[in-house]
Amino acid sequence: MIRSDQLDHGFVEEVMAEPGGQHLLTCWSCGTCAATCIVRRYEPAFNPRLILHKAGLGLREEVLCCSEIWQCSACDACYPRCPKEIHISEVMKAIRAVAIRAGYESPGPTAEVDETICSGCAVCTRACPYGAIERVTKGVNGSERTVAHVDRNLCLHCGICVAACPSGAMSLESFSDRELISRMGADGWLDKPGHLQGGSPEPRVLAFVCQWSIHSGAEWAWLDDLQSDTVRVVNLPCSGRVDPAMVLLALTKGADGVLVVGCKEGECHYVRGTYLGRSKLALIGQILSQMGMDAERVQFAEMGALDRFRLPKLISAIANDLKGVRVSAQVAVMA
Amino acid sequence: MVDAARHPKVEILAYSEVEQVEGYIGNFRAHVTKKPRYVLEDRCNGCGECAQACPIELPNDFELDIAPRKAIDVPHGQAVPLIYAIDMDSCIKCYKCVEACGKLDAIDFSMQEENLELDVGSIIVATGFESFDPSRIPEYGYGVYPNVMTTMELERLANSAGPTVGRLVRPSDGQTPKSIAMIQCVGSRDHRYNEYCSGFCCMYTIKNALLLKQTYHDMDITIFYMDIRTPAKSYEEFYNRAREYGIRFIQGRPSQITEDPETHNLYVEAEDQALGQVVEFEVEMVSLSSAAIPRVDTERLASTLTLSRSPGGFYMEYHPKLRPVDSPTDGVFLAGAAQGPKDIPACVAQGSAAAARAARVLSADTWEIEPIVASVREDRCISAQGRKCGICATACPYGAITVEVGQAAQITKAKCHGCGGCVAECPHDAISQDHFTDAQIVAQLAELLRDKPEEKILAFMCHWCSYGGADNAGTSHFQYPANSRGIRVMCSARMDSDFILEAYRRGAGMVLVSGCHPQDCHYISGQQVAAKRFDRIPRTLERLGINPERFRVEWISAAEGEKYARVISEMSEKLASLDKESLRAENAAASPAIDKRLQRWRESPQLADLMEPARQEVPV
Repeated sequence: MIRSDQLDHGFVEEVMAEPGGQHLLTCWSCGTCAATCIVRRYEPAFNPRLILHKAGLGLREEVLCCSEIWQCSACDACYPRCPKEIHISEVMKAIRAVAIRAGYESPGPTAEVDETICSGCAVCTRACPYGAIERVTKGVNGSERTVAHVDRNLCLHCGICVAACPSGAMSLESFSDRELISRMGADGWLDKPGHLQGGSPEPRVLAFVCQWSIHSGAEWAWLDDLQSDTVRVVNLPCSGRVDPAMVLLALTKGADGVLVVGCKEGECHYVRGTYLGRSKLALIGQILSQMGMDAERVQFAEMGALDRFRLPKLISAIANDLKGVRVSAQVAVMA
Repeated sequence: MVDAARHPKVEILAYSEVEQVEGYIGNFRAHVTKKPRYVLEDRCNGCGECAQACPIELPNDFELDIAPRKAIDVPHGQAVPLIYAIDMDSCIKCYKCVEACGKLDAIDFSMQEENLELDVGSIIVATGFESFDPSRIPEYGYGVYPNVMTTMELERLANSAGPTVGRLVRPSDGQTPKSIAMIQCVGSRDHRYNEYCSGFCCMYTIKNALLLKQTYHDMDITIFYMDIRTPAKSYEEFYNRAREYGIRFIQGRPSQITEDPETHNLYVEAEDQALGQVVEFEVEMVSLSSAAIPRVDTERLASTLTLSRSPGGFYMEYHPKLRPVDSPTDGVFLAGAAQGPKDIPACVAQGSAAAARAARVLSADTWEIEPIVASVREDRCISAQGRKCGICATACPYGAITVEVGQAAQITKAKCHGCGGCVAECPHDAISQDHFTDAQIVAQLAELLRDKPEEKILAFMCHWCSYGGADNAGTSHFQYPANSRGIRVMCSARMDSDFILEAYRRGAGMVLVSGCHPQDCHYISGQQVAAKRFDRIPRTLERLGINPERFRVEWISAAEGEKYARVISEMSEKLASLDKESLRAENAAASPAIDKRLQRWRESPQLADLMEPARQEVPV
């Protein structure tokens, strides 16, 4: 039971005084944000409406202690749908600011820096959509060096820095390079020759799918059903996590086509991931053409919240397209 | 409607448009265009043979475009008057209708538009509402998924006189759906579209759900709502009955609808607030209860009749509590959803009230108005001297002033409500308001500032709000310093900048101008006229060397006695903190410039006496 004397109005005022927090009390708890938010797929307890409601009541400890306040990735899928036009991610930021001031910190997980490898080149600093990485100068193995440092309160473990790092110094607890490659090649999928290499009668497609771009459980179930000798689905934390080296690896090892699926532009869970993923794929396509291969073999697709049922069709359409690629020329180049 | 049509004293001009209205209460002249029906009213007996013969089919807007109608048709079977009309834009002139009409010979292709002039005593505006177009909300997929409809469309399908003779079918396959989700507040209570509550959607959704449940017992009906609003008599009981019938109610606004492209079934996602969990419903049909919105031509008619509009866009009533069916223009009354979304009982009640109010005008030989109207001094009006001005006409919220170059401005007294906005706005003092003349106000001002003016706060207050607020402060015994002196005028729009400057010339310490809050102005836009004027005052004061902190604008309602007391206390504190000597010096330094500006007052016989150098004995 919550008694009225537990409600801390000072907390409400504190949140509302933060930039972005001023709309806290306009919420009337319709639940549109909660039904829109995709974080709940992986964190069932996450409910933005409830956080706003509790904060609006002044349940200070209950709000600040909960791990959910750190999970909003500011994708702003809820913002355009909110009938009260509350910028919910900004309210979350305001709550976090109060939490940080009160000495709380995000429970993680975060991207990790291997300081012995990090060259301090700052590519990750520029790639991070949240400005969570900065360079610090500190003693590493007895010598003074400049290395990347991840602010755990800002990092949302999207993995964009991991894919961006040229030295391989960044890593995520899940979705490490090793783990992704082992998932790509599980059951010897990568060791079988593809359609273009004169092996499989049907084109073989490897699809990297951003875990936030597929919205319903039913769709994931269809994707599982699709997994076969000719289709391999590997999920990523974000399409921006896709590593060009992995795409090229797949193409040289029996995949006829690689499809990367990200969130729809504007709905990207990590703000800039779709932009980065699509740009990378465009560059890989150019490299393929320069090598005399068909740039169509790598493709990027966007899946919006309303694009349910589209992905299986897309995969079969791509497989179909690949049948038209001139086989002999591709084999010659590959060889 | 049928009774009205039969009544000897009621004439219905259907298929006609009001183009222009001039005149005033009791003496309106309406210019009406009667569009040609191409069917003679006195011959057509409504048999419908012509429509059966007509080969052209068009979308039927009465059936919300679900069913067809003919190029010669009536809106619906119960239409009054039951006279057919030809839609000339789609008629191919095959003359099959003429053949079908036969001996009645009611069809006349040579019919022309008619322009009528009607002399009427009062006008009732009952133009109704429109439905919000839900395709503006992309996440609900209206217009994209065939089985997402509006509740109005669903109602036509469920109606036994509707296009499917009462059999509810879904557009994708013509089958009766086994499950329906009904979504409330589509486009209303939504700051992206319309902030207001449409009011009657809860009830008509529940009604349709109950009707369907009674016809199709096994139909699974879920209503997604934010709040169920059933406040009128017997409404709550109706809602209870719907729950007892097994209609499912889920409190939660759906975030999106997606469609299975093969089955055309729909997935509705929402957070069930009671569960605190997201639910996903697979249903065969979705109905959206879209908001009632003002008709597109609301603004056109508003300018024709000098009506104003509320924030939601509907016509604004004279006063929300005391005169809910009167419009701001005397003799024009409002009824039904044109004034705001409302259900049938409320429309009937308001319609009856409007009829009674209108009859009051018709039964009177003369009409009494407030004796505070404005009048033009023709010798001073520069329009009479052939110069372009018209400032008074733009300031008048009632369209009571007409200005033609070469003639003095004309004020229709019956339209004037006595706000005094034109009086204050006229740069040549050519308009005066009875009982609130410049001389009367300046005389008050002079008397109030006779002793120790630098210690006084001169407060101009509007009659309806701020004066009531000051009164409220007194009757509630709120404590505030005794150095304020009030002058009451009808509206903040009457508070001429000249009065404010005159107050400083006479040595006032502080000046407060206060009126109604913007949305509460009793003279439609008087407060806006005033606010615009007051915005310029601080700069004027700065130029004159007067500290602008000695001037304050506050909007105080009649209930805000506490605010009035607080404002006066704050101003009094501020005044106490200012050095009296420098304050006097400021006023004295500004005095010649103000005097020069008010030179024209000396030309007025009433004002000249009052305009003796400041701080002398003033004859009262």
